[in-house]
Amino acid sequence: MAAGRHLLLATQDLREVVAASPITPLPGPSKGIQGVVLHQGEFLPVLAWGDLPGCAGPLAPHPVLAVLRPRLAVPVERMLGLVDTLPEGWVEPENETHAWASAEGALDDLRAALLDPERLVNLLRRFRLEA
Amino acid sequence: MDQPFNDVWSECEDLFTQARATLGTLKTPQPAHVVQASVNALFRTTHTLKGMAGMLGFHSFSRAAHRMEDIFDLMRQGRLRSTDSLTDVLEAGILALESGMEGLRRGRPEPDDYLLPLRRQLGELEALARPTEGGSRDLTTMLDLPPETLKALSDYERTRVTSLLLDSTPIHGLTVCLDYATFDERLRTLSEAVAMHGELISTLPADPPEDREGLCFLLLVASAHPAFEELPALEGEVLGMALVADPARVPDSLRAKADPEPAPRLEPEPQPPPQHYPEMEILRIPAQQVEVLEARLMDVGQLRDAASRWMRRTPGNLHDEPVGLLGGMQDGLLEVQKTLLQMRMVKVESLFSRIEPMVKNLSRELGKPVKLTFQGGELELERSLLGRLGEPFLHLVRNAMDHGLEPPSERVAQGKSETGALRISASQRGRNLRFDIRDDGRGFDLARMEARGIGLGLIKEGQHYTPERIHRLALEPGFSTQDQANQISGRGVGMDVVRAEVEGLGGEIHLSSEAKRGSLVRLAIPLSRAVLSCLRVRCDRQVFGIPLGNVHRVQAGREILRGGDQLEVLGKSLPLESLQACLGLPEPEAQRAFVVLTQQGGSAESVEVAIGVDEVLGRGEVLLRSLPELARIPGIMGGSPQEEGILWVLDPEAILGLAMDSLMRRVARV
Repeated sequence: MAAGRHLLLATQDLREVVAASPITPLPGPSKGIQGVVLHQGEFLPVLAWGDLPGCAGPLAPHPVLAVLRPRLAVPVERMLGLVDTLPEGWVEPENETHAWASAEGALDDLRAALLDPERLVNLLRRFRLEA
Repeated sequence: MDQPFNDVWSECEDLFTQARATLGTLKTPQPAHVVQASVNALFRTTHTLKGMAGMLGFHSFSRAAHRMEDIFDLMRQGRLRSTDSLTDVLEAGILALESGMEGLRRGRPEPDDYLLPLRRQLGELEALARPTEGGSRDLTTMLDLPPETLKALSDYERTRVTSLLLDSTPIHGLTVCLDYATFDERLRTLSEAVAMHGELISTLPADPPEDREGLCFLLLVASAHPAFEELPALEGEVLGMALVADPARVPDSLRAKADPEPAPRLEPEPQPPPQHYPEMEILRIPAQQVEVLEARLMDVGQLRDAASRWMRRTPGNLHDEPVGLLGGMQDGLLEVQKTLLQMRMVKVESLFSRIEPMVKNLSRELGKPVKLTFQGGELELERSLLGRLGEPFLHLVRNAMDHGLEPPSERVAQGKSETGALRISASQRGRNLRFDIRDDGRGFDLARMEARGIGLGLIKEGQHYTPERIHRLALEPGFSTQDQANQISGRGVGMDVVRAEVEGLGGEIHLSSEAKRGSLVRLAIPLSRAVLSCLRVRCDRQVFGIPLGNVHRVQAGREILRGGDQLEVLGKSLPLESLQACLGLPEPEAQRAFVVLTQQGGSAESVEVAIGVDEVLGRGEVLLRSLPELARIPGIMGGSPQEEGILWVLDPEAILGLAMDSLMRRVARV
């Protein structure tokens, strides 16, 4: 559960899951990144969900950080469990979620999205170029 | 690549570094024992390389290393004397092996002969060292030792005995009986002590006297001024000493034949006390383990910071002693972190030392005299970068020598000095280590490059391209204006390899040139971490560090300052911009301090801007960590975790640019 929605993260994209520590904001505008945390002696950027298309609105506290392989921490509200395969009927998102998710569908009767780290990183790079 | 392979490459890299350093020693006049120790070390190095290459199945490399090993063996035997020209050939040989090893590391196929460009020089050396007709002299029969002991001497040891006696050095026999339990340790200690008094030629087994038990040895030592009574004998150990060969007994006829042009004595009289070089124990630690340790130390540092914050927040806890202890922990942690960082760093001069022999050889081969200068060798870069930068540098230097510098006659005709200039400098610019490779040659032929670029379809005919764009064509794969490839460069590979390697490191490459004036290749390589001396300043509640190398002046407590003001500083009128405006943060109403930033190595033409800050806190050393790509902020070089949070270290050159942009916007708004 992240940014108020159900989210699937492919395990091969996941480096680890860690308890969230205080985030230090960056000393300048940085759309898409809310700051950094120190992780294994290095700075790790933390995603700002609120800056992503389709994620506006108040966000709940996130006690967990899912660290993706491209060294990006994604704030997570709750870990719900594992699914073996993508549920049937999931399709390529047609809305603005397309910028960071590669599939969308229903999970336990709720709308959910499959986070695509490559799309997400490309989106964050675009934000930087536009700044 | 798997770990065992990485270990082998890393060990080879170390061996080449040692070999280059040892060859450097031979370039200047040295006492005989230092020359001998250096040649022995080089022999061992090439022997190890030969074995490692053979083990990995690189047989051609193994053969080449064996050939170099033979040359060092000839030197060990005294058949080749260390001269400047010999050292040059050896350097070129080691360099050829090193480049070859780098090629293997990148998965390139083995060439038939790594030493092909040196075949003539190596052949001459081997011919020079062949024994004269009638066989070589052997004076070991002069040793007053039993025949069975003499039989145990190796060819090398016989050659040394002969050479030392001809050189009028007496040879002594030192006998010692050692306890079975500790003989190896004791023998090592004694051998080291003996080596301080002369040259240890051989350690031979000896028969124990009837009244003694243990293992006995005979140490054959050459020394003009022995002081064996100073040797560290333990209780119960008896050291026996005797002169076993007196050089005065060498027949004059043999001495005269020894060398038609005897080398000047390397050991002056009286002999200075020999310098003792203790052997260092080298530990090989995987880089990942050092990283884990660094990360753990960072965690410990954060715990210390948390404890310190708690102390300061809790009333009644602010006692001098615990605060002092925490301060001591902070200093200790920084020291350990710096030491760990140093373990990962090497000086830039070790990169330069690879280039020098190559330039010498190219200069000879191409008939182009060149004055080579280096700057910034004292700077440090990560060891991992050194390995990856070696080959790009070699390409760039080859190009400069082959294409850039003109032949002497052409230079003279242009009114230039006959000797070309090649200058390689390193400097730290923000988070980057910058390398400049400059030559004063003909520069890039932009018209020819443009035509070639059109021919290859890289650019379109009839369009205008900036000189920068034309220069960048040289970095495209397969781009070369040379009609025929030669042995040095011009195959169209090289510059694209340089670009790929530099960009792979997250760096940048820029080319520029001026016709008939020369070329500049600039590489900017980002550093992931560094220790920096910084000025600490505060803006709002955030603390920033400014590298001291770019701080020209600091002033605080004067009148109220606002971005866009003009200040008089040391007779110069400087624009002022607030740091917050530079970084795109909310601007303060006013500030009372400023720091004058200048470009590094600032000259009269350097840009200078006064940067307004809220408070100047002082100076200190910080351990900088770079920011990952997604968190990079213009003007910020990286961060350093501190007790009060992360201290952001400014990139002064970038801040100067941001300040100028911000000031321009102010002007535009008016």
